[in-house]
Amino acid sequence: MNGLFAADLTGTLGTWVGALATIAVWSYLVGERAIFRLLQYLLAGLATGYLALLAIREVLIPRLVVPLVTDPVHNPLLLLALAACLILGGAAWLPPRLVAPLAGLLVGASAAFALGGAVVGTVLPQLGAALIGRADGGAALANGLLALAITVLVLLAFLRGGQKGRLVGRAAVIGRWLLVGGIGAWFGFLLVTRLALLVDRVGFLLGDWLGLIR
Amino acid sequence: MPPEAPETPETAQPRSFEWRRFAPPIALLLLLAVAILLPPGLQPGDLRLASLDRTRVDQMRAVVAGLPSSSVVLVGFDPDLGTYPEIRGTVRALLDDLASHGARLAFASFTAEGRALAAAEIDRLVRRAGTNGETAAKVLDIGFISGAEAGMVRAVTSIVPSAVTGPLADAIRSRGGGIGAFDLVLIVSGGDLGARSWVEQVGSRLRSVPMVAVAPTFLEPELAPYLRSDQLKALLATLREGVAYAEEVPVSGAPRDRAIPALPMLAGMLVALGWLAVAVMQRTTGRLGPGTRRGRAA
Repeated sequence: MNGLFAADLTGTLGTWVGALATIAVWSYLVGERAIFRLLQYLLAGLATGYLALLAIREVLIPRLVVPLVTDPVHNPLLLLALAACLILGGAAWLPPRLVAPLAGLLVGASAAFALGGAVVGTVLPQLGAALIGRADGGAALANGLLALAITVLVLLAFLRGGQKGRLVGRAAVIGRWLLVGGIGAWFGFLLVTRLALLVDRVGFLLGDWLGLIR
Repeated sequence: MPPEAPETPETAQPRSFEWRRFAPPIALLLLLAVAILLPPGLQPGDLRLASLDRTRVDQMRAVVAGLPSSSVVLVGFDPDLGTYPEIRGTVRALLDDLASHGARLAFASFTAEGRALAAAEIDRLVRRAGTNGETAAKVLDIGFISGAEAGMVRAVTSIVPSAVTGPLADAIRSRGGGIGAFDLVLIVSGGDLGARSWVEQVGSRLRSVPMVAVAPTFLEPELAPYLRSDQLKALLATLREGVAYAEEVPVSGAPRDRAIPALPMLAGMLVALGWLAVAVMQRTTGRLGPGTRRGRAA
């Protein structure tokens, strides 16, 4: 049992819908594209409707509408945020000079959160753990050199991948193979995840739907 | 999806060719079905999915066992619909483990997919416990928190919306109202905002709250360094570790959900390896299968 459905009529209905949707998706395996496409549209429609509902119920009403209606004086920033949203929403017909600073602020702030977090939360602590946390000075030095070498090689693979014959070009090739090796290893992990999903789906059909296993 | 080219007499293939194309995936499904249905007596006796290395299982159990009585645990529930089946059993065992140690759980999600799955899991927890008021006092649904990584940063100082009420919500507010009010953060990963985002955005700002994570196998290479650097106190990030952990947690009340069996996983992996080997051989010998674009062109 996947445990997501109750043992009542609603649960039975949910199990049947899930089972039929699974079989309909698998119909693609025998070349049946029309049913598969119908399921794709169904998924896209459901996801869009769910996202709209989530945004309205859990974000816009409790965090924007209610504070503005009940206490607008103490929420002046929300008025500014609402004005910004309206400007971005009308970006197609408003002058770019009005829209660009707001869009830039939005993109820049998002990028700053991601980049700042990556540096402070990943790069520095990971380098620290590899270098400073080591009691053995030789191992710390080796780790540091390895980290530096891999970083340089992978950067070269991105920046100088097209150059051949020169030292930098050869280093870029090594960097590219490092990337390929890493992606290949990650593909193995991904395979386990996807296989577990497939086994779970087959188990759902045999167990939850047909009742052949407990 | 681009529109498909209509089939012309030149491109039409004989029926037997179509069967050659469709037979392998159907055979794989049938093989998995047989492997799942095979009675335990006919399966290899020493075939086990649970990892024999218990280091990470012991780490997770030690973190849970070290929680103070009546602890408050924040469950950052952001798995992905496509990977959640792999970790579902582990997550439920961990929630059972926390509940058996008296922990009170507050669920929050930063992704829409995570919110949908969190709502289903909270519904399951409440349904399993019945309609007694004890469960309501021990489980809090904080809901969806918008803003992605910016929302995480905001949650460090304030995570419970004013509309959320109840004894557990009051307890969190009385402790400050932010993530610092919790004794532990359990991150259920898989989606866009997973354990890495938590470590980067929350862990770097709030080092006092320990974080543990459950993640699908494909995130293991990404998250293992955080465990080694102690930014995560415990991590279960492979199917085998998850199964081993679920086996360790004592079952109480309702029976444990069906785990992913070992034999179909082994069969599927062998098929995948065989597929890969055939592809490599075809590549090296210059023979391309009829299913490939270049093979059709040839």
